[in-house]
Amino acid sequence: MLLDVLRREGIDVPTLCDHPALEPNGACRLCMVEITKADWDGWKKSVTSCLYPVEDGLIVYTHSPEILEIRRNILDLYLARCPNSDLIQKMAEEHGVLKTSFETLPDGDNCIMCYACTRVCEVLGKCAISAVERGHKKVIASPMGDVPPDCIGCLSCAHICPTDVIPWQDKNGTRTIWNKSFELISCKKCGKKTITRDFADYLLSKRNIPANYFDICDDCKRKDLANKMGELVDGAQEVTL
Amino acid sequence: MRIDSFPKLVKWRKECGKEYTGRKRKVFVCLGEACLANGSQAVFDEFKKVLKKKKLADVPVEAAYKTGCHGFCSLGPLVILEPEGTFYTKVKPRDVEEIVEKTIVNGEHIDRLLYKDKETKERVPDHNHIPFYARQHRIALRNVGKIDPYRIEDYLAVGGYTAIAKALKDMTPQQVIDEVLKSGLRGRGGGGFSTGRKWATCAKVDDEPRYVICNGDEGDPGAFMDRTTMGSDPHSVLEGMMLCAYAVGSKQGYIYVREEYPLAVVTLQNAIDQARESGLLGENILGTDFSFDIKINRGGGAFVCGESSALMKSIAGEVGEPRAKYIRSVVKGLFDKPTVLNNVETFATVPQIIEHGSKWFAGIGTKKSTGTKVFSLAGKINNTGLVEVPMGITLKEIIYEIGGGIPKKRTFKAVQTGGPSGGCLPAEKLDLQVDFDTLTDAGSMMGSGGMIIMDDRTCMVEVARYFLNFLVMESCGKCVPCREGLYQLHKLCTKVCEGKGTMEDIDLMEKMSKTIQTASLCGLGQSGPNPLLSTLKYFRDEFVAHVKDKKCPGGVCRDLITFTITDECTGCMACVKACPVDAISGEKKKVHTIDQSLCTKCGSCFDVCNFDSVKIS
Amino acid sequence: MTPDVKKIEKIIDRNRGDKTALIAVLQDIQREFNYIPPEAITATAGALDVPLSKVYSVATFYNAFSLKPRGKKVIRICQGTACHIKGADLIQEQIEKGLGLKPGETTKDMEYTLEVVNCVGVCAMAPAVLVNEKMHGNVRCEKALDLVKKD
Repeated sequence: MLLDVLRREGIDVPTLCDHPALEPNGACRLCMVEITKADWDGWKKSVTSCLYPVEDGLIVYTHSPEILEIRRNILDLYLARCPNSDLIQKMAEEHGVLKTSFETLPDGDNCIMCYACTRVCEVLGKCAISAVERGHKKVIASPMGDVPPDCIGCLSCAHICPTDVIPWQDKNGTRTIWNKSFELISCKKCGKKTITRDFADYLLSKRNIPANYFDICDDCKRKDLANKMGELVDGAQEVTL
Repeated sequence: MRIDSFPKLVKWRKECGKEYTGRKRKVFVCLGEACLANGSQAVFDEFKKVLKKKKLADVPVEAAYKTGCHGFCSLGPLVILEPEGTFYTKVKPRDVEEIVEKTIVNGEHIDRLLYKDKETKERVPDHNHIPFYARQHRIALRNVGKIDPYRIEDYLAVGGYTAIAKALKDMTPQQVIDEVLKSGLRGRGGGGFSTGRKWATCAKVDDEPRYVICNGDEGDPGAFMDRTTMGSDPHSVLEGMMLCAYAVGSKQGYIYVREEYPLAVVTLQNAIDQARESGLLGENILGTDFSFDIKINRGGGAFVCGESSALMKSIAGEVGEPRAKYIRSVVKGLFDKPTVLNNVETFATVPQIIEHGSKWFAGIGTKKSTGTKVFSLAGKINNTGLVEVPMGITLKEIIYEIGGGIPKKRTFKAVQTGGPSGGCLPAEKLDLQVDFDTLTDAGSMMGSGGMIIMDDRTCMVEVARYFLNFLVMESCGKCVPCREGLYQLHKLCTKVCEGKGTMEDIDLMEKMSKTIQTASLCGLGQSGPNPLLSTLKYFRDEFVAHVKDKKCPGGVCRDLITFTITDECTGCMACVKACPVDAISGEKKKVHTIDQSLCTKCGSCFDVCNFDSVKIS
Repeated sequence: MTPDVKKIEKIIDRNRGDKTALIAVLQDIQREFNYIPPEAITATAGALDVPLSKVYSVATFYNAFSLKPRGKKVIRICQGTACHIKGADLIQEQIEKGLGLKPGETTKDMEYTLEVVNCVGVCAMAPAVLVNEKMHGNVRCEKALDLVKKD
């Protein structure tokens, strides 16, 4: 897509819903650019670069006054929706929007409806959460507001969220996210908590990995490996001596 | 009976035609939605009952026929008696016996049921001489009101399925495309894209299967031509889709009907069943290699599903969120396959183009907008209903000559075209020759052809607020400019309606509107600010009046108006009865008064007062 | 009141495994129960092999679906443009006040549910109110409540 090429060329195009692990969905509209071609008689059209297929002979304006105006106005709208989000405040400021022109939403949270969480959940093959209702009432939620049966507590949604609005916590060997509690696996060596049992089971069912793969944590595995390597090196040194 | 060859079709049509024209006496009772709401089913049943009871020698019981909508909805229930064309309006079941006795048996007119010309005050005996009908040129609506929508035989009798037979017998798919292309037909659903070009592009895509979709999601509030066509002449839609399928090489079609039109689903399904039964849908149609079938999908009540990519998602059983159409749906549409999507009126028009030729069609209308267009007239206009007129006719002709002007001798203020994607045009645009391009240039849009007429009792700021509210409710919520931007515009506009707006708010609305137009993902958002921008363009003084003078010139915005009764009050009690909150007191023949603490400023008193004694200030 | 699981199964069975039938199945369920019971959402997800979250998205996205039980009489006030300029707001106000309901709500005795629709296509008869399937045209604001109650 056009955005990838722009990024490759080191051109700065702001985005909020774009993520390398996800298919583009064109929700945030910040990556809009103006395009034209030599034979378009000066006619230009605004497109979202994340969704526009690259073509030969395309002339792209990434920072024209019109585009900058659109970005400012969109960030103005975001600022009205999420006045407390650090990310939005920072981006808006970078574009010269210090204060929103609108009344801020009374019940606004920091969710910018970028769908990154639902998309990553879908990529993982779970679709535990989704966008619910429509229009301005739309929110990301679990089915029927209940504990999501398909959630495996992998935290992908919380980690990918650009404005950090999905709460979760690990406490006393239990992880809680979307009001669902999960047992965390303890490393058999160091006792450190790693991933949830449900996530481990899911990965084991999907990938060709040994059944005891999650018994020991990555740190201990690395240590083991280092020790093994050390033993080998030591052994080798002895031989040389 | 399965019709598997051309000669069989010709023979069947002859039989149907003989039966149709052979009916000596025909009583057509309109069973369109509007007439049904007025009780036309009871009128129809009464005709059956009375005819049975009378046992007239030359009038069989079956002489009472159901028809779909006649279009002149404000006068329903409508009854037409053929062959004379006697046109009775507002017929009640109790009139039926009299109609049978006087008109059917003795050939006399019943004056009170005849249409009364508003100008000449004369009664008009038959529909051909009523201005509402006389000025029309019906192509898409050719059979509407003339045939029983539940009988394929009726459709055949009036020449139905002639075009598909002609195409299959004498034309290549390319020739069908060329004919549609040359006719200049542009999509009747909204943007006015060339139908022929759409078909040609789809036919060229090297991918299979290809799909044909009929968009029956007539979401524009105020438009009801597609509902009428689907409900009153369903076979014409099927035939149009068949021609398209033959032209682009499709085997499967879908009709997406909006949830609010249950009757259309029934008539269409019945038509599909009949067509299948007689072999006009299915495998090897008329003994040729052409196979095609159609499935109905009911919508779920979402305006955004009128947008093609959202509609296709909805057919696939998903949430109706549009996608960016940098790759067109003729290339990658339903199930990612090449898809032609046209609306109901477009498909209903196509068979006529194939039957009579592109030259005939291109000769009607204007150079760039050929043919006719169906408009639905509603709002503050005398003759509400459906009219089909050649493109290029002026707004004035539609509103005054066909529509009969504004009721209660009030003044015309604006006409809204194109629904939430369109705009409001003022009186100085009444001479505008209506076609796709002139409407767009004027800041409105053809849309699907809805025309809402507004009089001086309408507040244009409030109308803009109404459309913004509509769009906020109907936005899918996927992209920011539409979801957040329209929401903020609605809030600002509401502020103006409440008299709390500032001139800066108006500037902000204009600025943000432009961004929403450019940056939104789909047509809903891109055209969403149009109703606001067009009212700001033509009725800016009303916005200024709300902001600066804290006045609502239309007398609608409640925070800015008070109703009072002047001394000219005759004491007729009409307003006292009409007031829903009993805020008006007074005795007969004495001046009434409004208790301002109770008054909700609904304006009911103003609307019922025949003596101009209620004042808005 | 738990909905009849057999009835749900019967509706779903016709379309088992067909993801594209999701909206049609939910429509059929709503026609049967007058709303979409949570049990039906779960059952539909399983039978059509669609993630539960997606079924819930669809059920909440489309206006036609109600996830709450509705009253015996579903009153739908048309808020199309023609109805709006002919006073649909006033009618809505009268009915809201008279029944003590906001759009989307149902009376405690399960008698009435109030809904608002964006145009039912009888613009020629504006303003229009639907009581279940029955259409009323040219509704007068002061008579709206009576009409709804009588119907």
